Amino acid sequence: MDDKELDELFTDPAHQEVVDLLKASRPVTPPLDPNFRLHLRTQLMAEARRTLTPRASRSWFPFTLTPRVLAPAMAAVAAGFIVVLGVEIYLSNQPTRSLVAVDVTPFHNKTNVATAEPIEITFTGPVDKAAVEETVQIEPATSVTKQWSGNTLVIVPDHPLAPNTTYTVKLKPKAAAPSANPANPASTPKPAVAPTPVVVHFTTVRAPIPPVVPPSFRSSGVTYGFDSRLGDSSKVKILNAVWTPAGQLLVTRPGGAAGPATSATPSATATASGPSASTDVWLMSTSGTAIRLVAPGGNFPAAAPTGGLFSVWRQAPGNQANLEVRDFQGNLVATVATVDGVPDRPAVWIGSDRLAYADKGLLRIVGLHAPLEAPALKVDHGSLAASPNGQLLAVQSTAGSVVLDLSPAPTQRLLDGATGFAWSAKGDLAFTIQRANRTDLYVFSAGKTSRIASSPNGQTWSDLNWAPDAASLLFAARPAGGDSTGSVLMLVNRDGSNPIMFGPQREYSAPQWSPGGDLVLFTRRDEAGGNAFWTATSAPSANDAAEKQALAEVDKFMQARIHGDHNTAQDELSDAGRAAYQTGASSLFSTAGTQFDRYYPVTVQLTGTNPNTFLVGVRIFVARSGVETSFFEEQLTLVLQDQRYLIDGVKASDTRALGHGPTVVSVQILQTPPGQQVRVRFDADLKASSITSDTIQVRDGSGQRLVDQVSFDPDNHLATLNVVLRPGTYQLVVTSGVTDINGTALAQEYSAPLVISR
Amino acid sequence: MPDRFEERELVERAKLDPDAFGTLYDRYFPQIYRFAYSRVRDQSLAEDVTSEVFFKALKNIKRYTYSGHPFSSWLYQITLNAVADHYRGAAGKEVELEEGASLPSTAPNVVDEVVRRDRSRRVWSAIDQLPKQQRAAMVLKFGEDRKIEEIAQILGKSSGAVKLLLHRGVERLRRELPPELELGTP
Repeated sequence: MDDKELDELFTDPAHQEVVDLLKASRPVTPPLDPNFRLHLRTQLMAEARRTLTPRASRSWFPFTLTPRVLAPAMAAVAAGFIVVLGVEIYLSNQPTRSLVAVDVTPFHNKTNVATAEPIEITFTGPVDKAAVEETVQIEPATSVTKQWSGNTLVIVPDHPLAPNTTYTVKLKPKAAAPSANPANPASTPKPAVAPTPVVVHFTTVRAPIPPVVPPSFRSSGVTYGFDSRLGDSSKVKILNAVWTPAGQLLVTRPGGAAGPATSATPSATATASGPSASTDVWLMSTSGTAIRLVAPGGNFPAAAPTGGLFSVWRQAPGNQANLEVRDFQGNLVATVATVDGVPDRPAVWIGSDRLAYADKGLLRIVGLHAPLEAPALKVDHGSLAASPNGQLLAVQSTAGSVVLDLSPAPTQRLLDGATGFAWSAKGDLAFTIQRANRTDLYVFSAGKTSRIASSPNGQTWSDLNWAPDAASLLFAARPAGGDSTGSVLMLVNRDGSNPIMFGPQREYSAPQWSPGGDLVLFTRRDEAGGNAFWTATSAPSANDAAEKQALAEVDKFMQARIHGDHNTAQDELSDAGRAAYQTGASSLFSTAGTQFDRYYPVTVQLTGTNPNTFLVGVRIFVARSGVETSFFEEQLTLVLQDQRYLIDGVKASDTRALGHGPTVVSVQILQTPPGQQVRVRFDADLKASSITSDTIQVRDGSGQRLVDQVSFDPDNHLATLNVVLRPGTYQLVVTSGVTDINGTALAQEYSAPLVISR
Repeated sequence: MPDRFEERELVERAKLDPDAFGTLYDRYFPQIYRFAYSRVRDQSLAEDVTSEVFFKALKNIKRYTYSGHPFSSWLYQITLNAVADHYRGAAGKEVELEEGASLPSTAPNVVDEVVRRDRSRRVWSAIDQLPKQQRAAMVLKFGEDRKIEEIAQILGKSSGAVKLLLHRGVERLRRELPPELELGTP
């Protein structure tokens, strides 16, 4: 068995020996009753004759081609001239009969497509790239950059796609003009245009459902899930990586690393410029997909906490480096500083408008548009970290460690030797002090310093990183002496209690929680002895178990409805719920000629406690002849009965047609004392000017409009309303004044209940 | 790749044509039965699982959509689900070790078995003792010669995760097989 995959995967001779042994052998042949195979075949064929009723066949070739094009194309296929897997359309450069096919297999009818995944459409021959690009249409409206990698069109969404959404990409291929025949110009074939567009449908992944009861990342509750190597290949070398607030990654890779090639035609993607680059900074998805080059020649990126910006060091002529601020499209916003030499670490954001860095060993602070005065502190390679509110900066200087208050308040001195600073989201500062034979871990909070834990003798702790809810700290523990092969990740509660090992391996370090807490990024020794970046899933505590339990019942209920399982669906209903469906509050099953195709939860709200009750808004997609054409929503009330959540009530919305402008894909309420945030996510890229307090409103029970502030994050199609609501039931209303980037308005007003519980 | 083109056409025909479905059955029965047996280690159970797999395939074939992977990947997925269904509620039957647990390489019964059987059988017996996911990945890779991408699709994991499973599986075999089982000692 010659298997290149195995050769690439197993390079260690000890592993190769085992692999060779396995390759040279086969599992034992299982015992088999000779009659069984025939018996089963007979049964199956009888069943097949009963159930496989011949009908008019629907071809896997879904495009209508004119006979002029179809004939030679299919003839060629039949003759075996060209075989392309997937959904294909053929263009013919007649009369030469050279054919160009389109392979959309990787995306067509796919579900669970990652929201940051570039869409690739491969042509088997040369096409008129500019003409093809012009014909690309995406529904819901999505701003994209079109690039080419050989004959593959790579459509890169400028922002992550919306989850739970079916996208339609249409394009009309046009073959490249064939070479002229100088001997007989009249016979020069003309480029052919596909008579009908290529249509690709795909559905993005389901979004994680945000917990309405906040999860806890206390060490007793967090578990290490599955891990995977970032980039999915040992060939993707990543030098450093940091999270962006949206849960993507900024990574530094060796210069010239592969990604979608830049189009020959104008593109919004940054192109290499400036000095020759040894490293590049890319925006990358958590599955390791390089989304776009955002800083050619850059290194040490750092994402601003808000505002969609990041800082990066870029080489400049004369052995200098520029500190640049860019947006996630790669556009340069400002060059804020220039230093001599090559920086060895990222700048530190102070809030979203200032940056701290070291120049010739001295602390510097710079605003996005002007330098600011900084205390004359010599920091060399000491630790720097800014508090989340941008007011405090922890600095390890050669004269001692301090917390600078950037407001007029006095500076506070930290214990001697304090280093490895990390601020929590709640404003606690964690740091370590290296003692003779151990490491002490401290937390500085509200002006007071407490030692919360100490390492065992002979062990050092470093790489502190707070959990998103500030309930625990992750860090690397290694034997004294810096042996990184013995490094493990540890998780300890904020008060120092319950230190546990996080993850099974003994070579992990530099942990970083993702903003949402669902992943941990860390480094791990790779086969070559270097460090590779990995992510591990984490599952927070069971605090939100009730919500999960309720959602599991909703899922069972919805799957039963989708598959027509009457008994299971009925079993998920309380008497009141059953009565609601029987009296026509909504349809339990699809009507004739239609099918419930899929569903997902749009909102999950806690409506009562002890025991918890939930209001779950589900969106149900209705298909005709296998194509989703409309959707409606149900608000399901879930109550606990006999240790189990049952559906106790339902209210259904009107049915809405799909493909007629942007729609709301999720609504989330966050408690942000003293008020709340209502986050409304859309499926399309929106015209920012259409998001106002007139077009997205919160109304009280009497329909009275409440005062709110609306902000808009175009990168995530996210409108955020800041409100202060007392406990009660309100209504979110999104009017048809909201329009996408093409000017298409919301087809119908959207409304959903908002429940503020105590 | 004309074989895939042909397979895809055959699957499309099998949605309407019983004979085409019979051809699929003839083609894939051996590997599905072998895979089912590798998971349950019991002839009668393997027959039940195989029967269930093909009846489910028949029932759902009209919903099957070609996704770029071989048709067998879909059958393997159904097999894994069928095996899981068989053991749901019947704890302890399917040999299962938690991640991080040690192989019982020093347990007398395993050692006796190892000594008794030939080298090939011994290494595959050791694979049987791996955790469920690792075992599935190892059997599909080394027993069924599946591509990593196909295994990823079958197990519902990323390619990277499958590579990790294989790596861990081989590493555990290396660590925990008795030394005499390694190459050079038939």
